[in-house]
Amino acid sequence: MLFIALKNLFQEKTRLFISVGGVAFSVLLILILQGLLQGFSFRIGEYIRKQDADLWVGDARARDMFHSISLLSIADEEKIEGVEGVESVSPFLARQVVVATAHKETATYFIGYDATTGVGGPTKVVEGKETPSNGEIIVDRVFAGNHKVKIGDNLIVGQSNFKVVGVSTGTNLVSFQYSFVTKEDAERTLSMTGQTNYFVVKLKDNSDRERVAQEIKQNLPTVKVFTKEEFVDRNTEIVRDTFLPVVRVLLVIGFIVGVAVIGLTIYTSTVEKSKEYGVLKAIGVRNSQLYKMVFAQSLVAGVSGFLFGSLMALVVNLVIDRFVPAFITYFRLIDFGWVFLASVLMAILASYIPIRRIAMVNPAEVFKG
Amino acid sequence: MSLVANNITKVFGKGHTSVKAVNNVSLNILPGEVVLIMGPSGSGKTTLITILGGLLSPNEGSVVINHEDITKLKEDKLPSFRLENIGFIFQSFNILSALNATENVAVPLIARGISQKKATEAAQDFLKRLGLGERLNNRPSDLSGGEKQRVAIARALVTNPSIILADEPTANLDSKNGHEVMLKLCGVACEENKSVVIVSHDQRIKDIAHRVLWIEDGKLTKEEEGNHKKVCPHENLV
Repeated sequence: MLFIALKNLFQEKTRLFISVGGVAFSVLLILILQGLLQGFSFRIGEYIRKQDADLWVGDARARDMFHSISLLSIADEEKIEGVEGVESVSPFLARQVVVATAHKETATYFIGYDATTGVGGPTKVVEGKETPSNGEIIVDRVFAGNHKVKIGDNLIVGQSNFKVVGVSTGTNLVSFQYSFVTKEDAERTLSMTGQTNYFVVKLKDNSDRERVAQEIKQNLPTVKVFTKEEFVDRNTEIVRDTFLPVVRVLLVIGFIVGVAVIGLTIYTSTVEKSKEYGVLKAIGVRNSQLYKMVFAQSLVAGVSGFLFGSLMALVVNLVIDRFVPAFITYFRLIDFGWVFLASVLMAILASYIPIRRIAMVNPAEVFKG
Repeated sequence: MSLVANNITKVFGKGHTSVKAVNNVSLNILPGEVVLIMGPSGSGKTTLITILGGLLSPNEGSVVINHEDITKLKEDKLPSFRLENIGFIFQSFNILSALNATENVAVPLIARGISQKKATEAAQDFLKRLGLGERLNNRPSDLSGGEKQRVAIARALVTNPSIILADEPTANLDSKNGHEVMLKLCGVACEENKSVVIVSHDQRIKDIAHRVLWIEDGKLTKEEEGNHKKVCPHENLV
């Protein structure tokens, strides 16, 4: 009986278009929101992941890199180096600061780049110098775009003046961007001489990470030692905690919109065709067969909406990425998987009321003119 | 006997507002017999045919079709019973607007679990028998009233039911088309020994009926012979 479902569905092309379009926009909303959440989370993690480090050592009282300050004495470096299995230890200096452009003051995440170890460097430089010298700064492409900053311009942080010499990508965190100066400039500008925010620890091959972490902790009781994965998780946790509840609400709204659109269009179609359903009942078509027909219509609308919505999300992502670089999205296959399941669930829920309507159709009514 | 109704009574409403739509009606319809039920509006014709088709339960009495008392059948068994044993023809054709002629006729076969390919072949054969060989793929909107009713007849007959119940089958047709459609129905019914019950105001249908039953205020009041034998020797009809 599924062919009747499809024929009914395609008979009213405008209604089908509205139904599929509604679900597609709902899927687009869900995927973009989820993509933004993942993109933001991924971008924060990406920078940490790209640092050549096995362990990160920070102040035990600091929650993460962005929302609390970890302060460690540079003298602790020796104590960490002394632990068996440690190959190298590098200070990692970074903090959010106010930067003055020619137009306004804004925030940037200011990182001290040690060119000799590679710690604290930009992810990818797309314009200008790859390594800043003292008095120079590399800014993110989104930062440059947002604040109309170009190579050769001057930026002021505190009492220090920096000349823009490079532009990087992969260093945008939506609400602020990374900027890179030399380690010495960072120490001076942040008044961190003799101090650092974190130590980045590289281990010798075949070293036991757990044991090394344990020994560092024994040597320095006020620090917390993270593996790279733990540190990524700690820093992305804040994104999940801050944005996930908001995103969840929006995802639920998107889901409800999808259910409502399919539900209303299929219900309208069911009401319009209730006499035809009565005829089918009269000639002997079972209720279960009719329910399957309605569900099939709902499912086709849901799955088509998912396909169009996914395609739209990919296209929108490409377009926005080109024109609005601050828009960070990251689509995972698993997200498409669960949005597909959500679309099927939309179809199931949306078919409930039309099915109830069909259950109430009295086949004897078809004899009334 | 194909269809036996014993003392059927149907009452709508309760108390002093109740209406006895069918009042103690009994009838026997033989295989191959065409019976016309006539009566004024509100006489209970449609209620009676609805009960005979197992779409409405009587308050009293029984309806036995092919030795099965359908008034005692469970609700969930009735659709299958109708699908196997009864073909319906409606006043306003009631063919599905999204389907073409062939698909409309194939619906009851597909509902019985027959493959779409075989159902399509059978539907097309039937439509050709009814003179619609050129209209197999036409939608209802492209068919005339007479053609739509022939599609409806094909749909009613394609599952080879023993009983055909037709409610005012010529009401929406002009006299030429109405007569032609009834001759087609009668021809196929005669040829395949089916019992046909037609409810109608249309006096011309007497020409194809073996018997005419008159109903008034829910009661059968008169029975007379139809003109079936005079005009419906089936070898000349189909």
